[in-house]
Amino acid sequence: MLYIRRISKGRWWHKKKNWILFGIFLFLIFVRISKGSIYKDFYYFISKPFWPGQFQKEVILKSIDQESLIKLNLLKKDNKRLRKILALQESNNNITAAVISRKTGSWWRQIILNKGSKDGVEIGNPVIGPGGLLGRVNNTSFFTSSVTLLTSPESKVGVWVDRIQINGLLVGLGDNYPGLILYSNNAEIQVGDFVSSSPASTLLPPNIPIGVVKSVDESFKAKKTVKISLLAPPNVIDWVQILKVKI
Amino acid sequence: MNKFYTKKLSVVFFIFVPIIFLWHPNWLGLLGVQPYWPLFWLLPWSMINGSMNGLIFGLFLGIVLDSLTLDSNFSQIPGLILCGIFFGRIKLNSDNFVGHFRYGLICSFGSFLCGTLYFLQILFENFSDGSFLLFIPSFQNILAEVFLTGFFAPLICSTLYKVFKSQGRKVQ
Repeated sequence: MLYIRRISKGRWWHKKKNWILFGIFLFLIFVRISKGSIYKDFYYFISKPFWPGQFQKEVILKSIDQESLIKLNLLKKDNKRLRKILALQESNNNITAAVISRKTGSWWRQIILNKGSKDGVEIGNPVIGPGGLLGRVNNTSFFTSSVTLLTSPESKVGVWVDRIQINGLLVGLGDNYPGLILYSNNAEIQVGDFVSSSPASTLLPPNIPIGVVKSVDESFKAKKTVKISLLAPPNVIDWVQILKVKI
Repeated sequence: MNKFYTKKLSVVFFIFVPIIFLWHPNWLGLLGVQPYWPLFWLLPWSMINGSMNGLIFGLFLGIVLDSLTLDSNFSQIPGLILCGIFFGRIKLNSDNFVGHFRYGLICSFGSFLCGTLYFLQILFENFSDGSFLLFIPSFQNILAEVFLTGFFAPLICSTLYKVFKSQGRKVQ
């Protein structure tokens, strides 16, 4: 009898510590499933006093100039080529948000914005900064939204090179210059060519400026790879706009 | 409340690891890369409480940090679990100076391990489309992270080790 009691006391489920650890584990699983919403909302409140100011002077002004110029050129051509085919959407209900967390180096390339599902942000909304496209909303909590940047290895979007009229795939490489893969070995792309979102893309609205070609790599098999310098540098932008558009 | 803080400081620091991870202070970085913050907590914790606790809390840290990053295909859990087990087997050197220096080396190695495992996952996932383009930025990331983690570890880890030790209580 005594022997049986000793064994039953030694079972793992009789130890309070194991249950506490199990409870913590369950809680963390909940945090994982909710994609860190609790943490992000907590961070929203404690970072509130440190949110960025209104002015970033030269960087923003320069980027806005570039953006306007590129947009103008693209729209001129589009008026001739696409007006009959595409309904260009002018959305006025964009959401302006501040960047409250920024991970633009290392493996993780994401920003967290101070607008979340309570402000109407939805997963998949494109995010633009002064200059052009930054990325897409990947996850929202009640107060915040997380944006996967174009530089993230997880980001893959369809883009359009206007000068040579060709579509390509823009993939993040984990550094500041995403790679553009053109599935045509003889595409005559040059340094300085403008890249914008593709009219054929199902993820983004057409004609959002993205960047300019920085360097053209050697052809690899049937593909051509190109490095893109983004017009909207995510490491300095403090304010962004979330586009509420239906594609 | 005071009793809670003195007894449960390690838990308070655990909660703040993801906050610092989100904060990502640029002025502490190199080439946009940050030190690998979770190791600073995991090393003293595992040294005091052993490999088993290192494994469990490595897993816990991994779960929380994975929930904060958007890369759903890649995980930090394998690296942190291995580091937790490895750190639990380390005993502190009696010589204070050597001990402090070792924190840097151990954390650098841990950071290298975590970075390499993460890179291998990215490589495996993107093997088909131009994976060679990933090599240079990834090596740069790993090296910068290893350097920064090793640089800050002696200061932060020895402080946390003293704080955790002063609690005078082991979990198991």
